[in-house]
Amino acid sequence: MRKILLVIERDLKTFLNHKILLLMRALWFIAQILLFGLIASRMVVVPNYFEYYAAGVTIIILYSTAVYIGYDIYEEAEHGIVEYLLSLPVSRKELAIGRSIGGGLRSFIYVAPLMGIVLALLGVSNPLLLLVAFFSLFLFSFGVAGMSMTLAMGIKSADKFDILMGVLDALIVRLSTVMYPQIFIQQTNPFYADIANFNPLTFASDLFRWGAGLEQYITFSPLVSIMAIILFFSTFTFIGVVFYERKLEGGGWE
Amino acid sequence: MNVIPYIIERDLRRFYRYKWWLAGMISMNLADLFILALVYTKMVKFDYFKFFSPGVTVTALFAAAFMIGREVNWEVRRDYYHYLLSLPIKRWELAFGRILSGGLRGMVYMSPLLLTTFAFLGFPNPWQILLILFALFLLSLGISALSITIATSTDNFEKFAVMRGVTYYLLFFCSTVFYPLDLIKDISKQGIIPPFLATLAEINPLSCGADLIRSFLIGKPPFSINLVFSIVIFSLPIIAISSLTYVKILQRQR
Repeated sequence: MRKILLVIERDLKTFLNHKILLLMRALWFIAQILLFGLIASRMVVVPNYFEYYAAGVTIIILYSTAVYIGYDIYEEAEHGIVEYLLSLPVSRKELAIGRSIGGGLRSFIYVAPLMGIVLALLGVSNPLLLLVAFFSLFLFSFGVAGMSMTLAMGIKSADKFDILMGVLDALIVRLSTVMYPQIFIQQTNPFYADIANFNPLTFASDLFRWGAGLEQYITFSPLVSIMAIILFFSTFTFIGVVFYERKLEGGGWE
Repeated sequence: MNVIPYIIERDLRRFYRYKWWLAGMISMNLADLFILALVYTKMVKFDYFKFFSPGVTVTALFAAAFMIGREVNWEVRRDYYHYLLSLPIKRWELAFGRILSGGLRGMVYMSPLLLTTFAFLGFPNPWQILLILFALFLLSLGISALSITIATSTDNFEKFAVMRGVTYYLLFFCSTVFYPLDLIKDISKQGIIPPFLATLAEINPLSCGADLIRSFLIGKPPFSINLVFSIVIFSLPIIAISSLTYVKILQRQR
């Protein structure tokens, strides 16, 4: 357990080294909410769109920072740091579990103050519901970290990995309910709505809105969303840990 | 003067080495157009797809033309200009060649999106097409020059990244790329955003580029020669400033 904590601590410190990335993400977040969110909320016919959008942007930033563990793993493979990690007195399983937890935890720690700002804007009606939502988002960020680890270890070309992450980022955000309510996606194209209904970002944004008291816009009942997030978390954390552990054997990352 | 094509050829070849970036950008632009804009069309009282198509075109132009600054800053940090100075090229040719190649990158990348916009919104007459291409090329040169000016103003990557990010977000979100100018002015009058942001949106060259295309394709805002003048007023001085700062950075002693 102590060794897993050391791996987590290392990942947290690595993350804090990306100061510029973190600063730019925070600036992006502020611009999205205070400029796009404010102006777009006067353009659309959706009541309380500003609150809706602010909650959605929080989920986007949680997703995009949790994904970053994949880039770190990729860089380690490219710069020969994996060999160093393997030489440490830490088992492969501990390393894999530590990376998965560290990847999710660091994104949650980073997003927590930004979430606090959004909650200050939205107001909190029921702290208990918010706690349940936070717990689910915690699992969501672990799941995203696991997914990112799986992709980073599964794709050996740096170009292909970057392309895949770029395309995935473009599609997963837009084909979800983070920026617009499900009813409008359904009206636009039922196929888009079908994808959005299986998108983990839809469940995560539903839960955050539910926790913050914006129930009128949630797509699924909170129970369904919690179950979906648990399924997403268990599947990708399991796959991510197993895949990372296996790829570490015999130079599978090279 | 006859060496400038070589500089352009080199920079265009380097541009296609960023395959991952291009793939990510293309997917982002297409997802913005065919998912986000279509869904927003259901959420607003006007055809957002038609409104946003010219905006995406200008977004693409900006992103591709702005990319040159990243390379110039890398060259400044790594003292790569010693090699550039050893080439049989005059300094002003090098400076102008870099600005020109940055501008051409913007045009090359933007062209398929402009064609897509024409395909969906209708083709303007040949004179209007010529005016659009002239204005967008000038805009692209101005953006390239702006990016080079920022890149040469510091040899600290972190400062450069922050300056680049702030410029990027200010120009994007305080523009008519995403929302109409009337709306921004209304919101400003209501005191929701500070008045200087509305002024910035009005004089923003990205707004002028997007509104020029809109004026010919959807008739709103109506065409005004001021749209072209604004781009000229932005681009010519910044090209001159950028050339001077680039030459100065080439001549510095360390």
